Amino acid sequence: MSVIKVNRPKLSRTWYLPGILSGMGFTFKTMIKNLVSQKKMPTLNYPEQKYDYSPRFKGNHVLTVKEDGDIRCTACMLCATACPADCITIVASEDEDPSVEKYPINYEIDMLRCVFCGFCEEACPVDAIRMGPEWQTPGKNGDNFVYDIKQLAYRENLNQGQGVKSVVEDTERHNFGI
Amino acid sequence: MLKCTINGKEVEVNEGTSIIEAFKSLDEDIAHYCWHPGLSVAGVCRLCMVEIEGNPRLQIACNTLVTDGMVISNQSEMVKDAVKWGLDFHLINHPLDCPICDQAGECGLQDQYMKFGQYDSEMGQQKVKKKKVVDLGDKIVLDSERCILCSRCVRFTEEVSKTNELGIFNRGDHSEIGTYAGKPLNNDYAVNTVDICPVGALTSKDFRFRQRVWFLKDKPSVCTGCSTGCSVDVYFNQEGLWRVKPRYSEVNGYWMCDEGRKIYKSTNVMNTEFVGVRGEKKAVKVQNRLTQAIHRKDNEVDYFLTSKALENLREDLKSVDKAALVLTGQYTNEEYEALLSYWKSQFKGENVFHWTNHEENWNDFDGLLIRGDKNPNTKGLQSSLEKHGISVEKDFSKLTQLTHVFVAGPENQWVYDDINTKVDIFAKAQKVIWFSAGLVPVSEDLIGNFLFIPTKTFAEKSGTFVNFEGKEQSFEMVESFVSQALSLTEIVSVLQGDSLTWHKPEQVERVHNEFVHERGTM
Repeated sequence: MSVIKVNRPKLSRTWYLPGILSGMGFTFKTMIKNLVSQKKMPTLNYPEQKYDYSPRFKGNHVLTVKEDGDIRCTACMLCATACPADCITIVASEDEDPSVEKYPINYEIDMLRCVFCGFCEEACPVDAIRMGPEWQTPGKNGDNFVYDIKQLAYRENLNQGQGVKSVVEDTERHNFGI
Repeated sequence: MLKCTINGKEVEVNEGTSIIEAFKSLDEDIAHYCWHPGLSVAGVCRLCMVEIEGNPRLQIACNTLVTDGMVISNQSEMVKDAVKWGLDFHLINHPLDCPICDQAGECGLQDQYMKFGQYDSEMGQQKVKKKKVVDLGDKIVLDSERCILCSRCVRFTEEVSKTNELGIFNRGDHSEIGTYAGKPLNNDYAVNTVDICPVGALTSKDFRFRQRVWFLKDKPSVCTGCSTGCSVDVYFNQEGLWRVKPRYSEVNGYWMCDEGRKIYKSTNVMNTEFVGVRGEKKAVKVQNRLTQAIHRKDNEVDYFLTSKALENLREDLKSVDKAALVLTGQYTNEEYEALLSYWKSQFKGENVFHWTNHEENWNDFDGLLIRGDKNPNTKGLQSSLEKHGISVEKDFSKLTQLTHVFVAGPENQWVYDDINTKVDIFAKAQKVIWFSAGLVPVSEDLIGNFLFIPTKTFAEKSGTFVNFEGKEQSFEMVESFVSQALSLTEIVSVLQGDSLTWHKPEQVERVHNEFVHERGTM
């Protein structure tokens, strides 16, 4: 049988009051600092104040439109193929106009499944889907988070419901020969 | 027998074998568009270049015969260079609209480009524009821009269907495929041209834009369209089957008829139809299959689990000793065997009826594949009946005297054009137990007592069909689409009080074809 000697720390180090007091001191110091100079405060008064994100922020998806306001998407399904969350559903159909040939009659994104990775944007060969600037789109119980083609392209806060044109214009694209 | 060496491997081939056939027998990859094993040799795509030892120039493998002691290779830098620049010529006027092209994913050009090409085009001129979305009749759409003029489809209509609709018109880079004087390409085998088209120039209207091929898997099966019993590949995903393509066998060669391509429709739970014009176009799903047991007495409709309905039926049948059985030639040998032995023990094998469709046309044959008997297994049914010593009756007016009528109804209902009159005849019996995969067209005001039990289609069960010449062809289950559907074998074992076991279908690799040998990884 042997005896192990345990080195217990001194009472002054294990007692909780010094720690509490130093913490309270830091809190009061910060409170007074924030009251004196509010501009240096590290936090925001959300939702009155909002943080400015980079314009390249990957928020809710936008389907871009052509010059004539029609949807740019050709329903090639590369976004649906690339999507790791499997949240894009496209139904393609034949257009009467032979220069369009194929177009989506439905394009749905399940926003609750989406992981906002941006693979769809990267996969798109015609710049028809982009990750938009919105990120603050809460909803109530039972709200529809499966955005359909109308909502993705022509929602009110995007150019007054007119749709967003893609940066590269058709004429410019044709000059490139694609 | 001739001995030759291909890419360092020795192989023995028969005299008169071309080099490309020797490559195929070794499963060696070789680039080719215009050569097809079922067609004559054209030698126009210039892609199957091979280097033969002792020969200073490259040769095309499709039109060069193997000689004894030949040493052939398609791995050398010279061959790769030739294929690469041959491909560049093919791509000069190709529109590269892969995103909207149905062939993308199983396209010869795409695959060869990733293998041999991967360069920027050196062509300074504008691409020659040709006609897009040309309507070639009821089944096919032509896109002249995508065409690489391999002439496979032209040779098909010339040599196989012998209808000669297609031809190559104009000269030089204005050459294009077309039909004489706008005559439609509507022969009974026309969709084969879509299958053999190495690019997306010919696309099938039925499959056009429905799915991207990389979402589909394929499995071998046997066509249920007629008694020829062609070997087919069915393409499917979790929603159902999307198309049927022929697979090489001695029965059908490389081809199948357009009517047989409809068989996938009997399997799908929902069929999609497009309604409306641009802007308001909607995809409407129409139910096609029975998904649960339905009891329909006059106008009252009740829905049951299949197992519950069969249990009730078993109790019900204990007091019945005389019943009729109506059979169609659309089920497998195994199912007939189970059902007929059950019938013999339960009802002494009496009152068995054979429901036929246009029996007078059964011996019709169009000289290629299509036969008049639109049932895949009439021979199997006849031999099963013979084996059990059961003689069939054909006078359906006798049915009305019996209380219970069992109907093993057709799976492909469109070939039974008398189905509505037969429903009226059956309705006169006290109770009709109808085994059917699809919804049976019963008019709303019909008075009758029907119990519909959902059965499996050819894609959901394994079994054997016997074709017109008595050849037994087995096929495996593809995938399960209706969870409550049972095969007749399973229905019989439930009626006898046994429990069922479920077999998981074998997992398959994704789609591959003669051009696509390997897939990229994400």
